[in-house]
Amino acid sequence: MNAIVHADLDAASKIQVKELNFYYGASKALKGITLALKANKATAFIGPSGCGKSTLLRVLNRMYDLYPNQRAEGEVLLDGQNILRPDLDLNLLRARVGMVFQKPTPFPMSIYDNIAFGIRLYEKLPKTELDGRVESALRRSALWDEVKDKLSSSGLGLSGGQQQRLCIARTVAISPEVILLDEPCSALDPISTAKIEELIDELTDDYTIAIVTHNMQQAARVSQFTAFMYLGELIEFGETDRVFTSPHEKRTQDYVTGRFG
Amino acid sequence: MADHTVRAYDKELAALGLRIAEMGGIAEKMVVDAMDALGAVDTALAQQVVATDPRLDALQREIEEHAILTIARRQPMGVDLREIIGAIRIASDLERVGDLAKNIAKRTVKIGPEARVPRAVVGLKHMNDLATEQMKDVLDAYAQRDVERAQAVWTRDAELDALEDSVFRDLLTHMMEDPRNISFCAHLLFCSKNIERVGDHATNIAETVYYVVTGTSLPPDRPKGRPGSIAAMATAGGK
Amino acid sequence: MSFYPARRRRNSLWMSLSTAAAALGLGWLLLILGVLVWKGLGGLSFAAFTQMTPPPGSDGGLLNAIVGSLMMTVIGVAIGAPLGMLAGTYLAEYGRYSGLAFIVRFINDILLSAPSIVIGLFIYQVVVAPMGHFSGIAGAIALAVLVIPVVLRTTEDMLNLVPNTLREAGSALGMPRSLVIQKIGYRAARTGLLTGVLLAIARVSGETAPLLFTALNNQFWSVNLNAPMSSLPAVIFQFALSPYKEWQQLAWTGALIITLAVLALSVTARMLASRGTVK
Repeated sequence: MNAIVHADLDAASKIQVKELNFYYGASKALKGITLALKANKATAFIGPSGCGKSTLLRVLNRMYDLYPNQRAEGEVLLDGQNILRPDLDLNLLRARVGMVFQKPTPFPMSIYDNIAFGIRLYEKLPKTELDGRVESALRRSALWDEVKDKLSSSGLGLSGGQQQRLCIARTVAISPEVILLDEPCSALDPISTAKIEELIDELTDDYTIAIVTHNMQQAARVSQFTAFMYLGELIEFGETDRVFTSPHEKRTQDYVTGRFG
Repeated sequence: MADHTVRAYDKELAALGLRIAEMGGIAEKMVVDAMDALGAVDTALAQQVVATDPRLDALQREIEEHAILTIARRQPMGVDLREIIGAIRIASDLERVGDLAKNIAKRTVKIGPEARVPRAVVGLKHMNDLATEQMKDVLDAYAQRDVERAQAVWTRDAELDALEDSVFRDLLTHMMEDPRNISFCAHLLFCSKNIERVGDHATNIAETVYYVVTGTSLPPDRPKGRPGSIAAMATAGGK
Repeated sequence: MSFYPARRRRNSLWMSLSTAAAALGLGWLLLILGVLVWKGLGGLSFAAFTQMTPPPGSDGGLLNAIVGSLMMTVIGVAIGAPLGMLAGTYLAEYGRYSGLAFIVRFINDILLSAPSIVIGLFIYQVVVAPMGHFSGIAGAIALAVLVIPVVLRTTEDMLNLVPNTLREAGSALGMPRSLVIQKIGYRAARTGLLTGVLLAIARVSGETAPLLFTALNNQFWSVNLNAPMSSLPAVIFQFALSPYKEWQQLAWTGALIITLAVLALSVTARMLASRGTVK
């Protein structure tokens, strides 16, 4: 059911999606998606509203499990293991696959606790070591310099861009392997957006990144692979440079050049 | 191809295309007129050609400015991006063609009274006809976005190179025959070089057209003109 | 163009009517407070807080009534608030789609506006009759039944206000559901939850009818929950209807004390709520 797809489902793939179908109740939102996310690379998902890109992202960490009338069929392999099987420990999965949401969601606690919270879930560390982990997470998210003097103040007191970087720091602190970003910059101003794009560049070295974005230029800037989706189907998947300069599919061409609709 | 949702975008791209067409027309006419002036030793026509060149320069600057503004405004992707880059490259090539024609015209003015060996000019005329035809074909190929026609121009350049070789030998012979011919033939040598350069620019435009339409480049090795190496031309011109 | 003067006139008319209505409502409130203060302030002495309720004709205080009210309110809230909070948590976190939640919500709304005398009679039948006597604990239980629906409602509303994305963010870190509710849901809604409890206390502080059937009244000092217990509303009821001047004075004083306590609680709840949103 797919058009030209990067059929490179090989060992260098961190996540392989095979014939994934997804249902909201009786309505089918994803139709036979097959693709692979390469390790330590950023893959962008673009497409018009309602095409299923956020839905696909939320399958990758089984976030849809929180809601009773949503279900997925098919296979999603993380390092070769199917994460859609019912007996999977969801909490462990989500420790390996982290997610950052569109609207910054700092917990109602201090900045320090926001980050230490996740760490405390999994490890019992002495205070000095915990301090070190918090600092390194904040440094990785380019936030340390701005908050190092106010770690005990509430996370809600930060600006939008800072809050989003806090959420990224929180995700990075528990050392996941994959980071999912669902339109992370759509609520932010251009300067914050640029800082986060720079952050994504750095994070790509150590993590596998999947990013959903409405901003095509952003997708072109931060990703190495791009998937174009439409109405729940995968239309085109390939290297970002090629998809944006000479896409294979007419629908992809129409979308990236602004001829859609 | 469907229209852009923002129609002003389409208008901007169309305006670029129109300006290229205008430049192309002017450049073609300059090349033809320069050769005519040389053949007939018509200094008035030659002066006219020289006077047309500033218009071409102005057009090239306009096209560049327009293209830069479109890039800043629209952040083009895919075929639009290739179109705009293509327009910039072609404008640059056409401006150089105009300069080459202007150089030929200037030499015509210099040669003026001491025209000597009409036979030599025939070879040049033949070259110029070929070069002019290349230009016309490639500009049509651009207007129609016709890849095959562009590729034909690209391979035909070998003929022009071959012709230039023979004109070169011819002029050398003339110069060796009679030392009084040297000055005149030397000018003609430069003119023949210029015409061959016009052909090269037509090839550049052909490569740009190919890139704009397909998104890939033609192979780097253009078939060079070795008369009789039809095999070389055939393999290089194949898809 | 010609609409403007007519609109201005209509506007002035309605503004005047609204202001008058507000003034009327406010006026009655001020009147009530005024009467309470005027009549009750005289008896608001040190004695009122240190002496027991007197026999007819002699002077005394309200100590046993105040202590009794406090005890029964505290125990009632201690029983009712956790129940209400847990139920409200169920409705907000787990019960979005379930039928059971729908039924619970419906019954809760009925309980919320049930006449408190009915609750009192019910507890009489269920607790007092089997025990054979009135008791303070029965009174506390009656108050608990009044507290539960209020706390349940506010807990559910406040937890519903916590955005879902916050919960998802917690789950995305691998947090189990119970921790998400405890550490994130409760934390985020804590001001609202506290406000709910304060409002419940304010509500039950003044309830008389249920206490009449359960704790009755006690003229003497008693902190024995297994025996009839005095309470401010009951004392006011008894003293106000009597012909004795001292008793009537104490009734006014008791009414003033209750009113001031409820006022203080409501103001605190308001202040907490506004501080919660500003942060």
